[in-house]
Amino acid sequence: MEPLKLVNVVKQYGDKTAVNQISLEVGRGEIYGLLGANGAGKTTTMRMVLGLIYPDGGEILYNGKPYHAELQQVMGYLPEERGLYPKIKVSEQIVYLARLRGMSPQDADKSLRYWLERFDVPEYYDKRIEELSKGNQQKMGFIAAIVHKPQIVILDEAFSGLDPVNVELLKATVKELRDQGTSILFSTHRMEHVEELCQRITILHKSNTVVQGKITDIKSRYPREEVLLHTTGDVSGLDVIPGVTAVERIERGYHIRIAAPETAQAILEKAMQESTVERFEIKEPTLNQIFIQEVGDSHE
Amino acid sequence: MNKLGTIIGFTFKNKVKTKSFLITTLILALLITIGMNVPYIIKLVQGDNASKAEQIGILYGTQPVIAAELEKYAAQSGNKDYTFVKYEGTAPDQAKKDLEDGKIEGYLSFDGGGEAFPAVTFTGGEDGMGQGLSSFLTLALQTVKTTVIAKDALSAEQIAALNEPVKLDTVRMNAEGQTEAGGDTQREDMQKAMNYVVVYVLMILFFSSNMMTGNMIAAEVTSEKSSRIMEILITSVSPLAQMFGKVIGIFLVGIVQIAVFGVVVGANLMLPHNQDILQGYSLSISDINLSVLLYGLLFYIFGYFLYAVLYAAIGSIVSRTEDLGQAVMPITMLGLASFYIGIFSISASGSMLIKVTSFIPFTAPTAMLVRIGMGTVPTWQILISLVLLLVSILFFGWLSAKIYRTGVLMYGKRPSIKELRKAMKAYKI
Repeated sequence: MEPLKLVNVVKQYGDKTAVNQISLEVGRGEIYGLLGANGAGKTTTMRMVLGLIYPDGGEILYNGKPYHAELQQVMGYLPEERGLYPKIKVSEQIVYLARLRGMSPQDADKSLRYWLERFDVPEYYDKRIEELSKGNQQKMGFIAAIVHKPQIVILDEAFSGLDPVNVELLKATVKELRDQGTSILFSTHRMEHVEELCQRITILHKSNTVVQGKITDIKSRYPREEVLLHTTGDVSGLDVIPGVTAVERIERGYHIRIAAPETAQAILEKAMQESTVERFEIKEPTLNQIFIQEVGDSHE
Repeated sequence: MNKLGTIIGFTFKNKVKTKSFLITTLILALLITIGMNVPYIIKLVQGDNASKAEQIGILYGTQPVIAAELEKYAAQSGNKDYTFVKYEGTAPDQAKKDLEDGKIEGYLSFDGGGEAFPAVTFTGGEDGMGQGLSSFLTLALQTVKTTVIAKDALSAEQIAALNEPVKLDTVRMNAEGQTEAGGDTQREDMQKAMNYVVVYVLMILFFSSNMMTGNMIAAEVTSEKSSRIMEILITSVSPLAQMFGKVIGIFLVGIVQIAVFGVVVGANLMLPHNQDILQGYSLSISDINLSVLLYGLLFYIFGYFLYAVLYAAIGSIVSRTEDLGQAVMPITMLGLASFYIGIFSISASGSMLIKVTSFIPFTAPTAMLVRIGMGTVPTWQILISLVLLLVSILFFGWLSAKIYRTGVLMYGKRPSIKELRKAMKAYKI
């Protein structure tokens, strides 16, 4: 039984469809990536999962059951705009939020101290949110979302606005939660995070699902059109090999675009004849490229 | 239920700790202290001046008889605030000079003469004639007139009887057709005065705390909404618990504030010099009618909740604190109407307006209070009004929770009624 399953979920605002027939499932101990440009319907989907708004069609199942009040205890949510009280101490409000999610004050306090220690900022315990920098406010928001040890965690743009050190810290934490069996639904428009964290993704575009599945499957569906070649010397005449569409000289070799995978072998043979090959790679498309191909083209 | 307690505690603790709350309470407490001690301070500043009788000059002139009678009256009346000074002759020169020097408050002169009582003129300083002086002189002249005209025709006892004020007792018939005897009128008058004070204070308290806490609630909700913490809250607790937790929490804040003011007022009353002043007005705490106070508190609390849930609902449909003032306008007007109906009807507690408004939940807390305090109301009418109030709290509480649930997720422009209605249908609270 999947902890979270969406079946043909539809949401309409007036005559505008915000989410059209989305279906996905998040397993135990999985980080599921929800991608899409701004306004694609990511946040709306997440709000429906949280029970904040109700779908107009389809159904959302939690361990096979529809939405019920007890879910409030086992879900954690980090909204895109960090929802915290600016004028109240970190300790007070996070313990408060944890208690609302059914934790005892003692457990909540213990858990909060653990996480502050974990993020190396125990001194924030007595600080007010408005005294913290934006990135640190976000960390507090993240702690607020996971302090009650939820089974389902919804992270909306969790890493945006963070410096690389903190991104790594949060990534490591998210992976740790995953390994403990938490189901995480995670939205972003930064592809590199997704490739590192997620097994399965859904790309939304203008309310519709355009790409869905395992990242490896998705990538294999897209032709490998790039060859990376490092050689000791120059290789001439690469551009006349049939099937090569573009050649770009780079620092230690060439970056070649090809129309069909077979062409790659011809390039390798040619390179071996003329020079010593140090590196040869048929690159698989990055998610970024797939994303731009699926979403970017239709930007009007 | 547990969560409701958590929300109440959190709201209360954080509101009480805010600087704005502490400062407002402190300033108001200070103002109350100053206000209550103003009479004493004035007395101190005036010093002995106050205890000295004011001097009124009399131009003896053409009416030596009347002037003599006036002096006799002043001596007999036992009024120590005013005394008469004799000026010989008819020319006011000396009196005028003394008036300018401030030696006398003013002087009396008599016009005409003959058989009838002459017209009397009071020439005073810039301050004119005060209320106290006016009534003293009127009474004095009236008495003297009776004496002068009656001359020897009436005995001293008869004249005294003539001057005795008419006694008018009131007996009220209640709804059951029984009369309530005036009994100890002195005591009843005291109670009536005390009822008046209680009703007045409760109405002002109701109005001001309603406005203050109501706006607090709305502002809290709006700020939670704009900081998006609402999205987390609403996924953690039911909106009903959330809203009532907030309303009750802030209610307690209001109660604490009122309690602080109560202690300040009490402490000031306990001061010996203020005790004298209170006794001077012959008011005593023991004259407070308990049933008026109890009903008053009941209506106060019910009324508070009715307004509070509406404020919460309004707060939830506004996205930015700047827009709040305009949005709460209708409720503020309702509160104002309720307050002024009460205040203006306090001396006409039997009017149709107040009878009707005492059954309308929004105005009942003040209107019914006036009726209970200033007149007689059958108990069943009070109960009906209370039940109506309670029912409307439940109804508007439910409606507000629905609006709250819907409104907190709507950003941008204020939602129209149609949008709200459509969205409300979708949510269970």
